[in-house]
Amino acid sequence: MSERILGGLLLFVSIAGIWIARSFEAPFSYEPVGPRAFPILILALLGISAIALMLGKASHNTVWAPPPVLKRIGALFLIVLIYAFLFDKLGFILATALMVIPVARFFSGSWKQAVAGGIGLGVGLFILFDRLLDVALPTGLWLNKLLG
Amino acid sequence: MESTFALLMQGFAVAGAPENLMIALIGCFLGTIVGLLPGLGPINGVAILLPIAFAMKLPPESALILLCSVYAGCEYGGRISAILLNVPGDAGAVMTTLDGYPMAKKGLAGPALSMSAMASFCGALVATVGIVLFAPLLAEWAIAFGPAEYFVLMVLALCCLGGLVGDSLPKAAIACLVGLLLSTVGIDSNSGVYRYTFDMLHLQDGIPFIVIVIGLFAVSEVMLMLQQAHSGTEPMAITGRLMFNLKEFMLAKWTMVRCSLAGFFIGVLPGAGATIASAMCYASERRMAGKDHQFGEGDVRGVAAPEAANNASANGSLVPMLTLGVPGSGTTAVMMGALTLYNITPGPTLFQDQPVIVWGLIASLFIANVMLLALNIPLIRVFVKFLSIPNWLLVPGVAAISMVGVYAVHGNTFDLVLGTLIGGAGYVLRVMNFPIAPFILGFVLGDMMEQNLRRALSISDGEIGVLFNSPIAIGLWIAAAAMLIGPRLLRVAENRRQRPATV
Repeated sequence: MSERILGGLLLFVSIAGIWIARSFEAPFSYEPVGPRAFPILILALLGISAIALMLGKASHNTVWAPPPVLKRIGALFLIVLIYAFLFDKLGFILATALMVIPVARFFSGSWKQAVAGGIGLGVGLFILFDRLLDVALPTGLWLNKLLG
Repeated sequence: MESTFALLMQGFAVAGAPENLMIALIGCFLGTIVGLLPGLGPINGVAILLPIAFAMKLPPESALILLCSVYAGCEYGGRISAILLNVPGDAGAVMTTLDGYPMAKKGLAGPALSMSAMASFCGALVATVGIVLFAPLLAEWAIAFGPAEYFVLMVLALCCLGGLVGDSLPKAAIACLVGLLLSTVGIDSNSGVYRYTFDMLHLQDGIPFIVIVIGLFAVSEVMLMLQQAHSGTEPMAITGRLMFNLKEFMLAKWTMVRCSLAGFFIGVLPGAGATIASAMCYASERRMAGKDHQFGEGDVRGVAAPEAANNASANGSLVPMLTLGVPGSGTTAVMMGALTLYNITPGPTLFQDQPVIVWGLIASLFIANVMLLALNIPLIRVFVKFLSIPNWLLVPGVAAISMVGVYAVHGNTFDLVLGTLIGGAGYVLRVMNFPIAPFILGFVLGDMMEQNLRRALSISDGEIGVLFNSPIAIGLWIAAAAMLIGPRLLRVAENRRQRPATV
């Protein structure tokens, strides 16, 4: 079933992509093959593969995690996504600490371990990268204000 | 021959610079740790460290030395968890569990670890010598390739990988094609046309390679780790002697040599890689051992064979990447992406244009393997300590470090968000058994494929026959078709043959 849905989705992508690609036209061109041909070739092959995937034997080796685990994986994904959004707004230390705490809880760390890990990783990695390895990290607006 | 030696010495001068030696040592250490952690393998290690190396503004040869020593270290590290936990640290170490864990149960963990380190060293050494001997020859031959041949060669590489991995052809094909498609995003360099940028400023230069790599090999990996959260088995303690004895060495020495050679040649073939090499070598050694063996119950040859093969093929797979610019595995595809970040195009001309980088890299493989042997036998207890890093600390740490790398390269959160979204999609695809290696290879090769195709057709003025004109191109097409269909036909034939026996 998962294969059918994904196949349908990919077929849609390939049709939509070819539709978009029709407008790829070079204003002036010195070569016989323009910017349009390669994407259309790839998308056409993708469409064929997607149909093959839909029509093929349903394989039974797609094993989704049981719903409670799947829910936690979804939550983990959202946390990382929010982390990505807030990375420079909150600054590395605070954003990392806030990300680590729930993730550590998912991997069965205790509250104490999670909080300690969050602060430790936030501060430790900041010192390691920003101070020692010269990889600039955001300190965050709030900290900038505090520091004046 | 003479000049090869001179160039190699030049390489040693580069790799032997104190700074680069230090980098290699750090890389070996980190690589071994990443390798031994179940769930993280060479591709994750290289993927996570690549943006950091770039952000630290390491010069290209140093960055490559770092990545290569991490890669080499991972191949050593995988065996540690295989032997002590019965959980392979990376895919290449699956076969090592078969005899490694039984040996540890018998109280022979020390000899199993030192023997496998020795075998790893032997495999890597043979393969590195192989690179020195064969890579320049292959590069010289490939210089005759025109754009048409190049295009077909890349088709062949994708077919090899697509034909060998994954459980179904449409899935492998889709993985390749989606990778190729994503590589077309951005401004077309020939005509200046915007393709699939959807008016987003950040997409004009295309999707950064680092974003794809971190999404697929860090974000989705973290999600998979939550799914597979294994119950915490305690690693076996190392008791008794650490070193293998002379008798064990004599028993395994020819196994190591044979498997190193076989592993190297399997590794050079695009697509095959470490997992297949170690499985094939283990099976053939078991058959060759005749009746007098304990394979499966803790035979030293059973740990020596897969480890020698695994390391030899990992190093061997650098050959097509360096000489042809066509990586044959996921990890070498990531390394090639690293080269292109530094505006270095791997391929036959690399040996002429960038001898410092190529030979520095090859020399660093020698140095890294000596370091790894030295690290892995006496310091084994130190590495074992890392097995007990709890996941609640490791997983968020991996997530944070990956983001640091991506952020450091372009300094915007758009890349982080995009990487996370790609990681989410990657998780779904991986659960559905889509192979990831063809995807990353497609993404890395996409631009070169398109450029070569267009160049070839420009030369012929649009006449498509140019792709089938030269004998080399025709040979490559035939090979591509064979690689795509061959392995599956063989599998079907195998099933037919076995069915009467089992029913």
